[in-house]
Amino acid sequence: MSHSENVLIIGAGLAGMTAGLELAHAGKKVHLVERLPLIGGKVIKDEESFPNLECSTCMVAPVQQDVLQNPNIVTMTYSSVEKIEGEAGAFHVTIKKNARYVSMTDCIGCGMCYEPCPVSQKNEWEENLGDVKAIYVPCAGALPNVPVIDAQICLKLTGKEECSACADSCMFGAIKLDDTDEMVEIDVGAIVIATGAGNYDASKLPQLGYGKLPGVYTPFEFERLFASNGPTLGELTLRDSEKNPEKVVILHCVGREEVGYCSSVCCMYSMKFAHFIKKKLPDAKIFNIYSDVCVVDKNYQKFFKKVEGADTKMLFSPTIDGVKVSGNGSGMKVSYRGGDGADESLDADMVILATAVVPDPEVGTLAEMVGLELDRHGFFAVKDDVAGSVETTREGLFVAGTAEGPKDVQTAVIQAEAVVGRVMSYLGKVTG
Amino acid sequence: MKAKVGVYVCECGPNISEKVDIDKILETLPGLEEYREIELVVKRFGLLCSGDGKTFLEDEINNNGLTHLVLGACSPRDHDKTFIGVCKKTSLNPFLYKIINIREHCAWIISDKDKATEKAITYIRAGINRVLFQSALLEKKLDINPDVLIIGGGIAGMEAALSLAARDRTVYLVEKDDHLGGKAVLLGGLLPRQGGGPAKIREKIESVLGNDMIKVYLESELEGVIGFLGNFEVIVGSPGDEEKKDLKVGAIIVATGSGLADPAILEGLDYSKTDEVITSMDAERMFSKEGKISLKSGGDPKSVALIHCVGREEKGYCSRICCNYMIKIAGYLKDQSADMKVTEFHRGLCLPDKADQGFQKEAEGRGVEFKRVRELTITGTNVRYEGMDGKSEGLKFDMVILAPALEPSEGTEGMADLLGVPLSESGYYQEIHQTTNPVATSIEGVFVVGAAHSPKGITDSMLFAQASAGKILSQLIPGGKITPEIKVSEILEAYCTGCGNCLDVCVYGAIYYDEGRGISVVNEAVCRGCGNCFGSCPSGALRTKHFTNTQLYEEMREAIR
Ligand SMILES: Cc1cc2nc3c(=O)[nH]c(=O)nc-3n(C[C@H](O)[C@H](O)[C@H](O)COP(=O)(O)OP(=O)(O)OC[C@H]3O[C@@H](n4cnc5c(N)ncnc54)[C@H](O)[C@@H]3O)c2cc1C
Ligand SMILES: Cc1cc2nc3c(=O)[nH]c(=O)nc-3n(C[C@H](O)[C@H](O)[C@H](O)COP(=O)(O)OP(=O)(O)OC[C@H]3O[C@@H](n4cnc5c(N)ncnc54)[C@H](O)[C@@H]3O)c2cc1C
Ligand code: SF4
Ligand code: SF4
Ligand code: SF4
Ligand code: SF4
Repeated sequence: MSHSENVLIIGAGLAGMTAGLELAHAGKKVHLVERLPLIGGKVIKDEESFPNLECSTCMVAPVQQDVLQNPNIVTMTYSSVEKIEGEAGAFHVTIKKNARYVSMTDCIGCGMCYEPCPVSQKNEWEENLGDVKAIYVPCAGALPNVPVIDAQICLKLTGKEECSACADSCMFGAIKLDDTDEMVEIDVGAIVIATGAGNYDASKLPQLGYGKLPGVYTPFEFERLFASNGPTLGELTLRDSEKNPEKVVILHCVGREEVGYCSSVCCMYSMKFAHFIKKKLPDAKIFNIYSDVCVVDKNYQKFFKKVEGADTKMLFSPTIDGVKVSGNGSGMKVSYRGGDGADESLDADMVILATAVVPDPEVGTLAEMVGLELDRHGFFAVKDDVAGSVETTREGLFVAGTAEGPKDVQTAVIQAEAVVGRVMSYLGKVTG
Repeated sequence: MKAKVGVYVCECGPNISEKVDIDKILETLPGLEEYREIELVVKRFGLLCSGDGKTFLEDEINNNGLTHLVLGACSPRDHDKTFIGVCKKTSLNPFLYKIINIREHCAWIISDKDKATEKAITYIRAGINRVLFQSALLEKKLDINPDVLIIGGGIAGMEAALSLAARDRTVYLVEKDDHLGGKAVLLGGLLPRQGGGPAKIREKIESVLGNDMIKVYLESELEGVIGFLGNFEVIVGSPGDEEKKDLKVGAIIVATGSGLADPAILEGLDYSKTDEVITSMDAERMFSKEGKISLKSGGDPKSVALIHCVGREEKGYCSRICCNYMIKIAGYLKDQSADMKVTEFHRGLCLPDKADQGFQKEAEGRGVEFKRVRELTITGTNVRYEGMDGKSEGLKFDMVILAPALEPSEGTEGMADLLGVPLSESGYYQEIHQTTNPVATSIEGVFVVGAAHSPKGITDSMLFAQASAGKILSQLIPGGKITPEIKVSEILEAYCTGCGNCLDVCVYGAIYYDEGRGISVVNEAVCRGCGNCFGSCPSGALRTKHFTNTQLYEEMREAIR
């Protein structure tokens, strides 16, 4: 098999998109595979990003647009890598493009088709806080702005009923209810893994009440609640009532002891949350319970100091392990150990758990397919910290972003750019 | 010759056609012909962005010999690039075309169809009038030099050099010291996750010195620089040495590393009467040279206090690497003598890598004590501290090791000045975008990596270095050309009084003062067309192409006529 100068990137978060754009700029043909119907990764779930509280959409949308419009990048959304054969420099890759049932070329994204659809379900992308129809885009502003039909619940596609309400409402003939999955085969010289990470499942710590007490939130639930394009249009209302929270507790380091590492972003996003809440609800009382503070960039501590005291009261606890959240009438009680070892407690109507960043739940399948072992935490490992920090143990395979371990956007982007350098040198070496 | 303006209104399916009366637009617009003395071609079309639509437009431009093109359609964010592409296939200069957003600005937000139509007509009329005052602008292509200058031969500079040399780039590596390796080569050891230890750093030095593509200049410094991305001219020399080297490069990487804050900035620190208080770097040096850490008075210490965060509050940032290397130093001490009492005084542990916490637990397992404190004073080798429980206590040690904050290296201000790169509040170089473009600076072609960018360890320093190499390898392709921004600013010589206001506002360093003519001049290859300078000129000498006063004024004038 002859060597290829093309590159496969798996995952279209900021790491994958950045690597893709720069490789494309250098004239490489890039195949960018994303399993979700939209590109952008986790950052587009955040209304604003730390440390400058920049509007995330404004920061990421130009990157998304550039990716979608770049002639050297073939973006395959709603797709998955099925098979990788061959070897470094000459990989043969099979990709499955799941049937979207909506034509990417004909649809203009007007959204006329959602309303008539008779079935709906919880919107997983919105952390199940809102509903979507069977034909949907995950959120307003999704890119590409083309809906997808969930074949699991569509009346027509499940064979439950004859229905074509969406197709009838589309003036562009964009809906193809007879669409099928498609297999695409490509040859690439190098593969970049940029599949991101997940968050620790808070229900594994029953003492924190997640899943039982409606006032307890995961960080991305909170991000979506606060987002102006989210299910409440940014209205901070509690899950079980239409009320605004009055007393909020943000608990740092949830799951840190269990996973065995610090996730390096939780302190910063926890402070960001405190700031968000104060901005929207100036009368709310906000408490951050923490044990260590890890705010590493040259500008992060400044942000921390700005929020500390002004927006939230910082409460030290030597260990987050002992914290308990229990129901207390219509509200909740948060008990924790204070700095002097004494038991303390607080009333709260909203508790946000800053859960550890953990490997993506589906990472095992991917690792097996690309033929890589994961590190002891379940992230992709680099060959050697000091020899080459984005090369994996398999030649021709590179990793960037939170797929390699928890990190902020800056470091994810840096790794992506480092991958570009490595891939360019590597392809130069194998293809001459 | 009369201008011939093609105006095409997109139906966007029902999106525009149902909410705006397109026929009314088509009827109204020709009224402009006589008023403006122009010829108009006005038509509607189903979907202009579709394949059919693009072919339609291309034919219309060619067959009608259009001199200008105005489209009533959607947001330029969606399709400006699409239609610029169409223009480029014809003889019509894309700067003589304009898209008017009558979908988001009219159809989608105004429920009253008459009002939406009226607004759409106003916008399109204004657009037609603006386009008449637009000028054709031509893209320029400039040759580039793919070679790279790197300032600083620490781990970051060396890594960048090796990454670039691997792709056959000529690299000039300028180091002010008499050896390569920076701080990393001075250390007694590396973190466990970094395996291999200092020998690895020495290996890197050997690979740099043995690489034909890398020209190393020791005991040298950057003395002058002019130019822009792809075409810099730099002067390198040794202070005091007459002979200077003139080099031509396409990009510059700043890898000047960091210094250590003077522990004296820490309030409550008095070690004037003892020699047994040393810095972490002293400890590393001692361990590197002698394989152990000894008291100045001779003999091994039996108890050592390790003080984290020295100067963190004063500097306003966390140095990221100190918690980690202090645990490493505790390891040296425990290796030296397993029953040495080693106590780390910290203000919250910051261990941001996935491998670090395990490392800390291991140290704890070996008997290293971690004490979290609120306040701390050091007198001689006595440490008095207030714990998190509010109680104060005092402990006496044989030796105290301080972890001073990292700070921008000496000479950073001068270097920033020379390069035109701004510094951030922390004193470190300011990147162009902290999250999405962290190695680039506002001077295109100048990158900042390693500990010169912000406090960081070896792994991150290398990552930043590799990232800058990635950017350079993808931006400067040998034999390739770059296309500078076309919508740049210009200064009209006749009006410029040389006051220099504009020089201060241009963050890209695109404006220089021409002594001979006594005026300011925009370097078009550097200008990004941001328009910042435009408003700063008191004499109206500044003009940003494609956004001139006349163009904006004429657009407004027609809108309110
Ligand atoms: C609650 C929270 C708030 C945060 N806020 C900030 C902030 O304000 N500022 C900041 O700098 N950082 C913040 N971070 C960190 C930031 O989210 C990450 O640094 C960033 O998302 C990493 O980008 P990435 O591209 O590596 O991964 P992701 O953004 O996770 O993108 C990975 C992409 O890969 C796709 N993918 C996964 N598996 C596969 C597969 N098998 N096949 C195909 N595609 C796949 C995913 O669907 C996703 O689109 C926050 C983190 C959390 C948890
Ligand atoms: C006590 C201590 C222990 C540490 N332990 C570890 C560890 O175990 N693991 C780890 O990962 N990190 C550790 N670090 C951090 C590590 O030292 C830095 O991350 C690393 O040295 C940064 O590399 P650099 O190349 O960016 O900068 P530097 O190592 O500072 O190198 C910069 C180079 O640039 C040169 N230079 C400066 N100005 C100019 C100029 N104007 N012109 C020309 N040349 C110039 C300098 O002479 C120097 O050679 C430690 C730091 C300290 C202080
Ligand atoms: S499928 Fe049709 S109706 Fe639905 S968004 Fe696309 S163009 Fe509009
Ligand atoms: S066919 Fe019917 S059920 Fe299925 S997506 Fe369309 S409208 Fe919804
Ligand atoms: S337009 Fe912006 S980049 Fe250009 S000279 Fe003016 S201020 Fe500088
Ligand atoms: S502000 Fe205007 S007058 Fe003053 S130097 Fe600049 S261009 Fe000349």
